[in-house]
Amino acid sequence: MTRYVINRLVQIVIILFMILTILFVLFRLAPGDPVARMVDPNMTPEDAARLIAQLGLDLPIWRQYLAYLGNCLTGNFGHSFHYGLPVLEIIGQRLPNTILLFSTGVLLSAIAGIAWGKLAAWNKGKATDLWLTVASLITHTLFLPWLALLLIWVFGYKLDWFPINGMISDEVWLDPDSGVLMKAWDVAYHMILPLGTLFIMHFGSYLLVMRSSMLETLKEDYIVTARAKGLTEKAIRNHHAAPNAWLPVVTSVGLSLAFSINGGALTETVFSWPGIGRELVFAVSQNDYPLAQASFLLVASVVLFSNLVVDVLYAYLDPRIRY
Amino acid sequence: MTRSPVWRLAIILPLLTILLALTQIRPGAAADWDQGVLRVGVLEEPKSLNPWLAGDSWSSHVQALLYQPLYLREPAELKPAPWLAAEPPVFDPQALTYTVRLRPAHWSDGSPLTAADVVFTAELIQALKVPRFASLFAALKRVEALDQHTVRYKLSRPDASFAARALGAPVLARKQWQPVLEQCRMTQRPLASLLQYKLEAPLSNGPFVLAEWRKGVYIYLKRNPHFFGQGLTIAGRRLGPEISGVVFKVYGTSDAAVLALRKGTIDYYWNNIQPGYLRDLTRDPAVRLVHSQKSALYFLGFNLRRHPTGQAAFRRAVAMLIDKQFVIKRVLQGSGEVMSSLLPAGNRLYHLDQTPDYDQPLTRRQRIEKAVAILSAAGYAWDQPPAWEGDRLRPGRGLKDPEGKPLRELGILTPPADYDPQRAMVGVMAQEWLGQVGIPAFARPMAFGAMLEQVKSRHDFDMFVLGYGNLPLDPGWLGAFFLGANDKPRGWNMSGYHSPEFDSLANQAGRAMDPDERRPLVLEMQRVLMKDAPFLPLYNPTLTEGLREDRFSGWVEMVGGVGNLWSFCELTPRAGRARP
Repeated sequence: MTRYVINRLVQIVIILFMILTILFVLFRLAPGDPVARMVDPNMTPEDAARLIAQLGLDLPIWRQYLAYLGNCLTGNFGHSFHYGLPVLEIIGQRLPNTILLFSTGVLLSAIAGIAWGKLAAWNKGKATDLWLTVASLITHTLFLPWLALLLIWVFGYKLDWFPINGMISDEVWLDPDSGVLMKAWDVAYHMILPLGTLFIMHFGSYLLVMRSSMLETLKEDYIVTARAKGLTEKAIRNHHAAPNAWLPVVTSVGLSLAFSINGGALTETVFSWPGIGRELVFAVSQNDYPLAQASFLLVASVVLFSNLVVDVLYAYLDPRIRY
Repeated sequence: MTRSPVWRLAIILPLLTILLALTQIRPGAAADWDQGVLRVGVLEEPKSLNPWLAGDSWSSHVQALLYQPLYLREPAELKPAPWLAAEPPVFDPQALTYTVRLRPAHWSDGSPLTAADVVFTAELIQALKVPRFASLFAALKRVEALDQHTVRYKLSRPDASFAARALGAPVLARKQWQPVLEQCRMTQRPLASLLQYKLEAPLSNGPFVLAEWRKGVYIYLKRNPHFFGQGLTIAGRRLGPEISGVVFKVYGTSDAAVLALRKGTIDYYWNNIQPGYLRDLTRDPAVRLVHSQKSALYFLGFNLRRHPTGQAAFRRAVAMLIDKQFVIKRVLQGSGEVMSSLLPAGNRLYHLDQTPDYDQPLTRRQRIEKAVAILSAAGYAWDQPPAWEGDRLRPGRGLKDPEGKPLRELGILTPPADYDPQRAMVGVMAQEWLGQVGIPAFARPMAFGAMLEQVKSRHDFDMFVLGYGNLPLDPGWLGAFFLGANDKPRGWNMSGYHSPEFDSLANQAGRAMDPDERRPLVLEMQRVLMKDAPFLPLYNPTLTEGLREDRFSGWVEMVGGVGNLWSFCELTPRAGRARP
């Protein structure tokens, strides 16, 4: 196992180096530059040239690349061209918000998807199975912005049950009388609609994976053996079938959690959630190289390491797997 | 995880959360902590409060309340009114100096604002050549403080725009920026260091001061107790502010912001409201829609370096084919006005009120016939000229230039529809109109940054549709956009227009320090441009903003909308004066 983990770590380092290079090349190949979009009539060509020089973009590309590699190795990802702030500070401000919303969304969807998938498989061919499967297929294919706006319209505006968007209420956070509990509740209150959207969109995929895996498991000999031993249906379902059906779902949840750090630009935009997804889109569209490169590198790193964690986890969940 | 109580919990927890939310423990409703705070919805958060870096409109909204200029345009006549200055600048034509006397004013920490701050601001801009401001101060030879409250600017050459532009730039606090400047000078890239300086607590000389910025969510500005204008009457308007603060709330989409406005979560949405929302908003008695003129220019630009767009006759034929009334009616859904000159009608002093022949009300048939006549007179010929069969047009085919060569396909670059659906649609309409007479044109929407690079840096285009939503009222930019000397990569002369007549007029206008002398020159510059048509001005969209008046009254309408400094200084809470 140790040897396997070391091998994988070496692979990850090589892949990350390749990703660093690809990111650098891709953003330089993209049309436009950070200054091209600054269409302020007050800015002369000389001003633009001076700005380009100050940002180090006038250097030969290989020198820019070497500086970029050196900076990355020392953990210096530079300053955002547009915010003027260190890139890590911007990511540090936005990432926790994204993790809070999307990880909670993934976990809630996964828990419900696994539970309902198990139920659907156990009741295969019955009304419960039919309803759950059809509901999964429908919700999984919905267009996210449409669903989000519909929920906002109905529950945020018409019924006035939840806030329309945002992560917190300024009224609560600016009020000197608001305590920590009130502020925490305020965040939870704002999470309900975006979480609801993510839940509706994603529980179906976990449900279908779990259902399919569970159906395969139920055909296994050890299930027949368990029945022959006279175990209750509940015990067979929960203690014998379900744990063995989990593996594909674990992979799916692990990767979803990893990808959740890049947020969802659409969800974050519609709900004005101050996360990293919106920043990623902004950075790419504005040619903000430092911010875009660091954000993508972060996503790539987390996905690569999550893959490793999932693989290691497999060995613990399934004793048949040995590295 | 497989134990059933866990599963039950998994189902019960979300339900419980929702049930809890359905109770009346709604944190937002508990608040009302200060009824005097104006809540403003914005689409994006400001990029930075560092005034040297950020020039985007979202940053400008907030910065305008913090950093004040010497002169500010008043809403009625749009003339510069003394703001931090006590009176109009005194110009000495012999010595080429402007002398400005300051009002008694203070920074938000209570320290006095003096001539030293004004001098420092100009010197910093010149020393580091700060991109957004350097061109405004290009003619400045030196600046000096004559006493605590008097500043003298000495120009190296006459610059007609100096008073309007340089004296309209914000004044920054020397005590805050002097140490920063010294620190930046010690670095390898002082300008980059200045732009990347993280300003935690900006000193304000405006009506508000930064109280809290929760990134991505809101910015809270509270009333500046040291604001110089409190209780003063400037340009006939009595200033407050009477409100205790402003909260800028970030909404990612107009959908959410408009719903928030209708729900009463915000008092004002500081953005143009698209026509699609207007039907519902008009019916909502709580919302007032305000329609304002913009200082904007949306145009079709030609590349004069290329054939056939380099030919004046060809451009005039294209101009004849573009039905601007149709654009206003169908593309803008009536929310705008035709532009027949490069400066919008809202710019009363310099607008050329003269309609060229191609902007006269003409039928489609008349437009096509006139365009064909212009092209024919210039030597163009068709294999099959456009012809009318009753009311139906048989489009022209096989158009050849005066040298007998078939016309190649011409691209019309536009921003993509998700960036600006109106400009993208104008490109498609232009393609169709040009196709009627056999001009093989095609609209090519492309990413905005890529389009700018292609147009401004590489000059690789035939035609393009672009726009400026907030042009300075001073017409100095008009010269910059079309001077032959500015035809260079990244230069403002995107069309590659060269006209000795225009250059002469622009240079004279740039040196005319007397507005009465400058005005006819600017009008003549526009006449020349409309004749040569390097740009075909298309439309000036009407700015439509939504606000609620149930909590605050006193919005000031002017060119550019109600989101202006005068409004923020005059708004009054309905419930009476806000608590201090």
